[in-house]
Amino acid sequence: MAVKPECIAMLLAGGQGSRLGILTKQIAKPAVPYGGKYRIIDFPLSNCVNSGIYTVGVLTQYQPLELNDYIGNGQPWDLDRANGGVHILSPYQQIKGTEWYKGTANAIYQNINFIERYDPEYVLILSGDHIYKMDYSKMIDFHKKKEADCTIAMLEVPWDEASRFGLMITNEDGSIAEFEEKPKNPRSNKASMGVYVFNWKKLRQYLIEDEANEGSGNDFGHDVIPAMHENGERMFAYQFDGYWKDVGTINSLWDANLDLLNPKVDLNLDDDSWKIYSRSPVAPPHYIGDNAKVVNSMITEGCEIKGDIDFSVLFANVTVEEGAEVRYSIVMPGTVIKKGAVVQYSIVAENAVIEEGAVVGERPENMEDIDDWGVAVVGSGVKVGRGAKVAPKAMVDSDVGGEE
Amino acid sequence: MSSNNVLGIIFSNAYDELLPEMTTFRTMGSVPFAGRYRLIDFPLSNMVNAGIPQVGIITKANYRSLMDHVGTGKAWDLSRKRDGMTILPPFNTTETGMSVSKLDALYGSIDYISSSDKEYVLLTDCNILGSMDYEDMINAHVKKNADITIAYTHGVPKQVNYATEYEFGDDGRIASSRFVGNFNIETNYSIKVMVIRRSLLERLLQEAHAARVENLESLIAMHLIHLQVYGYEQKGYLRVLSSLQDYYDVSLELLNRENMKQIFPQDKPVYTKTRDQVPAFYGIGSDVKNSLIADGCRIEGEVENCILFRGVTVSKGAKIKNSIIMQGSFIGENASLNCVILDKSVAIKPGKAICGADNFPVYVGKEIVI
Repeated sequence: MAVKPECIAMLLAGGQGSRLGILTKQIAKPAVPYGGKYRIIDFPLSNCVNSGIYTVGVLTQYQPLELNDYIGNGQPWDLDRANGGVHILSPYQQIKGTEWYKGTANAIYQNINFIERYDPEYVLILSGDHIYKMDYSKMIDFHKKKEADCTIAMLEVPWDEASRFGLMITNEDGSIAEFEEKPKNPRSNKASMGVYVFNWKKLRQYLIEDEANEGSGNDFGHDVIPAMHENGERMFAYQFDGYWKDVGTINSLWDANLDLLNPKVDLNLDDDSWKIYSRSPVAPPHYIGDNAKVVNSMITEGCEIKGDIDFSVLFANVTVEEGAEVRYSIVMPGTVIKKGAVVQYSIVAENAVIEEGAVVGERPENMEDIDDWGVAVVGSGVKVGRGAKVAPKAMVDSDVGGEE
Repeated sequence: MSSNNVLGIIFSNAYDELLPEMTTFRTMGSVPFAGRYRLIDFPLSNMVNAGIPQVGIITKANYRSLMDHVGTGKAWDLSRKRDGMTILPPFNTTETGMSVSKLDALYGSIDYISSSDKEYVLLTDCNILGSMDYEDMINAHVKKNADITIAYTHGVPKQVNYATEYEFGDDGRIASSRFVGNFNIETNYSIKVMVIRRSLLERLLQEAHAARVENLESLIAMHLIHLQVYGYEQKGYLRVLSSLQDYYDVSLELLNRENMKQIFPQDKPVYTKTRDQVPAFYGIGSDVKNSLIADGCRIEGEVENCILFRGVTVSKGAKIKNSIIMQGSFIGENASLNCVILDKSVAIKPGKAICGADNFPVYVGKEIVI
């Protein structure tokens, strides 16, 4: 028997992320590309490794193919290990029949056997939906010091946004007095980040009870945590300071990418002491041509840029031809933007082709009615024909015809 | 599929003396090139792309940087139980002393070569740059039932180490080899990549050791009559790096997209160690023209006709032209550089200017602060 890990992480990566529309048609939300060379799941995975947690179960369910492929044996995160490492946990067939993961708590319940194999003291529950850099080991230290049964990470959000979150009201010692789920009139601005540390023995007991309770929705936030609170278990809130963003909508994904270009935003990916690891494509350095103009942007390896790029994030192997313009946009790997095309205030997914003279998206200042404005989205592999237009806020997942 | 039956041998230190500036603290194989690579990535990737499953890297001196770079061979899929990559450190006995020539070094690794179960051996240096199809060369070797096949290229040799020219018989067999007398005319000269039957290589190494022959080419020349030695013409983009000037010129040739496509073909990637750096960031004042930029750079100044390696910072108002800036170097505000090669982690303080000429680039060594 190898050395027993004190804590293992369970990463809930089964979410569809339906508000991301066509971007998550083929892939699960944690596999959505972000920041030029990452995917959302790189953040919790890298946080785990940087925090010294080397056993991670990734629970997948919705469109797992690309996510499974991406995680592979976990080598990019140093998670290809003899002892521990990353394990993909999909719903499986049992004697009583096949069951999908009914809720977040049920997903963990179905993998009790996996956790028992390691018999850890603590279990860290994470989701694959957020962009943040966090040292989980500090949170576990806090959990130990408070002799807690459950610790929930929280951050203070602006009061006017608080009603969108699950909130906590805390006592002076940091213990949790009350929970409020998306209240209309919030009494607290301490929002749950969906990051939990549990004493495993305690959690195991609650998971079994929750499963036996037919009325339960089998969800951590709605069922398990309130049940623990009702029974007077020791529950604490751990305060996190720093950048944290749910990239659950097109606008927030677009914002979170452009945040990387804003020096005032506290999210430094160029930090050797807390690297975010990813499975990088093999590509030579990018090329900037003679007539190109690139300002305030991030460009990744393998790109060939001959046009104008302003305030944009370009992923690997993107081609921008002469005279093309890319502004306030996110362009994912392998996309080609041909001569004279304009891509503005848009997200263009992988391997799309924007033909000559096509226009994708619109500046908000040019709108007659600002309510009609929004980020335009071009799906993966879509071809936008010569001179064609993709309206602001539009989402196109099939080819858009143009002039012949 | 004969490549599966081939042992690859890479001389990481061969001809270090041609690039003395850059090899005082590293091997030729670990000389940085093309923004994110080391020279050894090219032969190593050629081998992997050809399907060669076993590779030995012969080292002589200063090979810590090389070991750090290749690691276990994982980036090339050569970290394997069966076959895979092995670093062969110098094997010194009181009898052999420090290996000096390539033949000595090979002789020092003879146990490794003998223990391979491959039928053929492909040998190459690290200062040969290009995407070579080793599989095609091996197939030609097998088809002709050759004893030895040597790759050559057509062009003007520039350097005395690349001055073996060949004349061929009707069937492509090398009839004679001789020393190039004139460094101004085009000829077929050896690029020192060869395929040889493993058993024959072992025999020749024993023989050379006994007869104290030091030069591999001389040894082969001695056997042209009774061995079947064939030439294999390497076409397409190929460069020999035989001086700092070559290094500079060939680096800047990468700015030609056609050359780039030939060195980095879509279907034959060049693999290298990944460093997980962020994409390059271009600030408000950046103005970049005709340049190759690697990940992790931060650019707020002007860059023209340059190659920037990973993690280079170009501060506001700095102007860099016709230069090669290696990993982690820092260019301060309003500094100006023209025709300069900065080795790794060099710092140019604000306002300083360095200017070389295109036929005399200024080289600044590792970690120097100016």
